[in-house]
Amino acid sequence: MTERIRVLIADDHPMWRDGVRADLEGSGEAEIIAEASDGGEAIDLTIELMPEVVLMDLQMPHVSGVEATRRIIEAAPHVRVLVLSASGEENDVLEAVKAGATGYLLKSSTSTDVLDAVRRVRNGEPVFTPSLAGLVLDEFRRLAEGQQPGDPALSDRENDVLKLVAKGYTYKEIGAKLFISTKTVQNHVQNILVKLQLRKRYELMRYAISKGIDRLPE
Amino acid sequence: MPDGGTRVTDRSHASRAGLARGALVFRWVALAWMSTIALGGGDFRRPVLAWASLLAALVWTVWISVRRGRENRGELAIDLALCGWLLLASGLVVPEDGVIRGRPFFATGYPVSAALAWGIAFGVRGGLLAGAVLGCGLIASRPLNGVPLGALEAPEIQNMMGAVVNYIAAGGAVGLVSRLLANSERAVRETTEALMNEREKAARLAERETMARQIHDSVLQSLSLVHKRGRELATSPDVPAAEVEKLADVAARQEKDLRALILRPPEDIPQGKGSLRQALENLRDREVVPIDVTVVGSIWLDGHRLQEASAAVKQALDNVIEHADATKINIFAEEDAGTVTITVRDDGKGFNFDARRFESEQKAGISRSMKGRIEDLGGRMRIETAPGEGTEVEFRVPVEDES
Repeated sequence: MTERIRVLIADDHPMWRDGVRADLEGSGEAEIIAEASDGGEAIDLTIELMPEVVLMDLQMPHVSGVEATRRIIEAAPHVRVLVLSASGEENDVLEAVKAGATGYLLKSSTSTDVLDAVRRVRNGEPVFTPSLAGLVLDEFRRLAEGQQPGDPALSDRENDVLKLVAKGYTYKEIGAKLFISTKTVQNHVQNILVKLQLRKRYELMRYAISKGIDRLPE
Repeated sequence: MPDGGTRVTDRSHASRAGLARGALVFRWVALAWMSTIALGGGDFRRPVLAWASLLAALVWTVWISVRRGRENRGELAIDLALCGWLLLASGLVVPEDGVIRGRPFFATGYPVSAALAWGIAFGVRGGLLAGAVLGCGLIASRPLNGVPLGALEAPEIQNMMGAVVNYIAAGGAVGLVSRLLANSERAVRETTEALMNEREKAARLAERETMARQIHDSVLQSLSLVHKRGRELATSPDVPAAEVEKLADVAARQEKDLRALILRPPEDIPQGKGSLRQALENLRDREVVPIDVTVVGSIWLDGHRLQEASAAVKQALDNVIEHADATKINIFAEEDAGTVTITVRDDGKGFNFDARRFESEQKAGISRSMKGRIEDLGGRMRIETAPGEGTEVEFRVPVEDES
């Protein structure tokens, strides 16, 4: 057995943290190295302890999960953030993914699913739900209308992959359907995430330039 | 709303046409009387002028009848000119002094037609104006008949002015009626539209309230169920796992519904359309197998399309639940270039699908009716399946009628 995955839980509900800790440690595959009850604590503890995976709730007091994700990825890009959120928060989830989260899972998922997602995210494999894939598709479509030259857009293949994810196919099933390896499917999904994050960065840059923020005071 | 604007003129035109029909009857009666007098006691001072004027009145009356109350401004001007002329002609053709000595007046009541027509077309002011013009014509007919105005005696002046007032009053009155009719029609239409808007708004509100009530009812009921069963299980010596799982399911479903209701921003629904997302999510009502609904963006369909498309999806779901032994179902919908694609995909046992056999035998009643619904909307259905591979049913439906 390899070393246990070092996990940090960020959630403002102690009962929820207890439950997840019990599930993950019970499996013997993961170790909870710290618990944070808001976004600020999550950032500080992550920088201090460098966990492999941060389980991030989105609705937290003071600093939100989205903001915490952004700051964690900035400070420690190799830390994987897995968003665990309730349904109906899809837009926040999209923001978290743009901020650099590697995966997203519903809080109603089984403990087996959570453990599996932790494992996959640790290995850098993006974990998506169909509804998030739908949101990403919508995002790229809406962005396509205001497309600027050089903006990252989805390739046809990436579009196909994303659609199949939205239809509920697993990476393995998608690979079989498109006659490509599961690994290639994962790469496509990974690229889609990177493009999404890039877009966000370009958008911010354009915004900054339009406001004249790039011109430094002499 | 340019649409409503044109409708106003159209409809008020309809009401004016009713008035114009009445005026036309009057016109023909006056013309008949005019002809009767001309043919009966036709000792005119200027017979050619008289008969030519009568002929002109006849031709004009026929023309007006053909136009059926749709005269344009030019025609209305001609009408007023002709009627004014008939008054002047009366002075010219009736034997001298005749108009005040009891000889039949050549023009009879025909000129009033112009006052009526102007009133109908231009309202009170138009009617009054035309009446006044005709009155001037009537006054001018006296000198033309060889009776200087100064030589008129008091009763003759009273008679004449009475007639002038009648012309003006006729034009004004018809104008008033015409305007009132148009206004009341517009008022009725506006009230009706406002009422319909209100009713639609109320219906939407009611729908939302019903939904909220349903969820509240089910949430409260579920909570008390979880509460009660939870306590029972806590005190029972051995706890059946299936029972606990059932409780978890109940709580999970309620959580999902409640969150969707509270957290989703209300979609701004275009008039007369419905949200496909909402319709598809409503199909999860009696979720035996977990159903995941993913819709890319907002998709709006008119009532009929929405109803038929979701009915087809429901049939597909029923099929899966009944035959597929699936553990989850994914519904996916997207809109691209005027076509909505909805797929229902399950991870069940699948089957040997033979498209040709399906076409020829139309074997399963449900599948046929599903296909029928979609094809009636101008769409197509496709099935992709294999034993052990699950099944994907795809519906492609145009967003709007292809006509």
